[in-house]
Amino acid sequence: MRSVSDPARAAKLVGLLALAALVVAFPALAPDPFILSVGVVIMSYAVLATSWNFVGGFTGYISLGHAAYSGLGGYATALLVVRADLNPWLALVLGGVVVAVLAVPIGVASLRVRGASFVIVSIALVLITLLVFQSWGDFTGGSNGLRVPRPFGPDVLRPEQHERFFYLHAALLAVALLCWWAIDRSRFGSGLKAIREDEDKAEALGVPTFTYKLVAFVVSAFFTALGGGLYALWFGFLDPIFQFSVLTGSYLVLMSLLGGVRSLFGPVLGAMITGYAVEYFKAQYGDTQLHLVALGVLLAAVVLFMPDGIIPALRDLLHRFRPRTASIREVSQAELAEQRRAGTVEEARL
Amino acid sequence: MTGSLLLQSLVLGVLLGGLYALLAAGLTLYFGVMRVVMLAHSAFLILAAYLAWFFNVQTGLDPLLSLLVTVPLFFAVGVLMQRLLISRLRPATLTMMSVLLTFAIALVIEGALGLVFSGTHRRIQLPYSGADIRFFGASVPVVKLIAFGLAAVSLASLYVLLKKTRFGQALRATIQHRDAAQLVGINTGRIAGYGFGLGLATAAIGGTALALDSTIYPSLHWHWIGPLMAIIVVGGLGSVPGAAIAAMVLGLGQSLLQLPLGTTWAQTVFYVALFATLLLHPQGFFGGRLAQRF
Repeated sequence: MRSVSDPARAAKLVGLLALAALVVAFPALAPDPFILSVGVVIMSYAVLATSWNFVGGFTGYISLGHAAYSGLGGYATALLVVRADLNPWLALVLGGVVVAVLAVPIGVASLRVRGASFVIVSIALVLITLLVFQSWGDFTGGSNGLRVPRPFGPDVLRPEQHERFFYLHAALLAVALLCWWAIDRSRFGSGLKAIREDEDKAEALGVPTFTYKLVAFVVSAFFTALGGGLYALWFGFLDPIFQFSVLTGSYLVLMSLLGGVRSLFGPVLGAMITGYAVEYFKAQYGDTQLHLVALGVLLAAVVLFMPDGIIPALRDLLHRFRPRTASIREVSQAELAEQRRAGTVEEARL
Repeated sequence: MTGSLLLQSLVLGVLLGGLYALLAAGLTLYFGVMRVVMLAHSAFLILAAYLAWFFNVQTGLDPLLSLLVTVPLFFAVGVLMQRLLISRLRPATLTMMSVLLTFAIALVIEGALGLVFSGTHRRIQLPYSGADIRFFGASVPVVKLIAFGLAAVSLASLYVLLKKTRFGQALRATIQHRDAAQLVGINTGRIAGYGFGLGLATAAIGGTALALDSTIYPSLHWHWIGPLMAIIVVGGLGSVPGAAIAAMVLGLGQSLLQLPLGTTWAQTVFYVALFATLLLHPQGFFGGRLAQRF
């Protein structure tokens, strides 16, 4: 057993180190501050997509509304700095806690329903927060937006600021990934995955499904809020239209699905691909609505042809060239149903 | 608050509720035949509104005549969409993935509208645009009456189609029990396609009705997604009468709340109703035995 897994483990370790080295070296390699700022944006997407994956990947509940938590995190951080005159880093953490507390009642309400209804509620949440933050002008700045003071002094220049925030985002991403990995290997994680495959059976087997879902939901909201808060401190300006946008929420879903929701690095890979594409499209066709069409087509293509994502697809490809291992492969309910249907569909056609 | 103002709000609320009912009926059809939550419904609504506006600008004829083209067109698009895209999704994850797929379609429509017609706000100018009918001191715009009339006629024909024809029978059988319907010889795949087309045809009518008295722009569909989704959840997913009742109640509620709260905050009635439904009665308040599982 060990002899089989050791080379694989070594390869993983090397890959991980290479990735870490790439992240550390990126600010030095970036040719100009603009590319560096794109790096910060992509890193921020990676944080948000990984945070999304605590719910989407483990439980299979697809939320199109995580922009509500990143937006709330951003506003909570900014308002704590502006109105309560708190230290920005303290405000960031406190903002994350506030959003996590808010996520409890929201989770209790929205996790009572499954599938489509859950998605509807998640969209509704973004629309409500948008409505509230636009209308409540005297507190949130309304449609005029809210300026967030820079956390570092005025003597820190913009490229330096980008570099610091790149590393801050990378650190947050590392914590989120570590947390996901720990849950993935825990009994709690197995319970969540059981919910994803068949919630009724999981419940019958004694998994406290509601509590598990709620905890995953709150953890996800907490990390999403931290990501939103960190982004707010970097970007320095909040506008409800962009903070509470279903589009942002759908980017996160696209990234996670594209990379693969079942794997640790899936959302990160998805964020790198989609984030780059998004920034490219904004730079090239920023004035037109073409980026919407591109996002739509890409999302449809992923849903139709690659619902499991790139990482599993690549892994399957690799497995073809390797001798079959004796380990039990994780088979999803969907795959099982597919296999069962494969026989019956032909009959039904007749 | 004067009596006539209240009466006016009531009348406008009923008219609005009628339009909501028509649009929500389409959503329940999709959900019934395919278990699909169609997020692109409101995008198609705006598309139909744009087509009506474009038809009016190009020909100078009444935008209602564009229905002769858009209704069959939308029906065909609906059938094709179901047969070519929705039916390709894996059954085990159909509900979730269909949400994403239809969301993608909505984005493509919004982007395409922006590319073709630009983001400029558009409005149809009609000879009867400003006209209204006096009714016990309340003034009711003619265009809203026409929109309500369209909604009423379409809902009535939908009812007759579902209850009195063989196709309606087959569609209802497919909605109630797909396998059993297949056993008695119904081609459920084809019926589901037609059901989808029917739903989209209601979007063509609703969008045209909408174009009569509102300013349209590509991202307008976001304003409709929330209320429509709230209506089908409150009504109970998949229940046509439930959706109609919820549409009427919420439309009236929105219209009445506009007096004390203003238009923006009155919108929240949908979301309050949505969350209240989830907390108190997750399967919806009016029928809807399907809701909790999907």
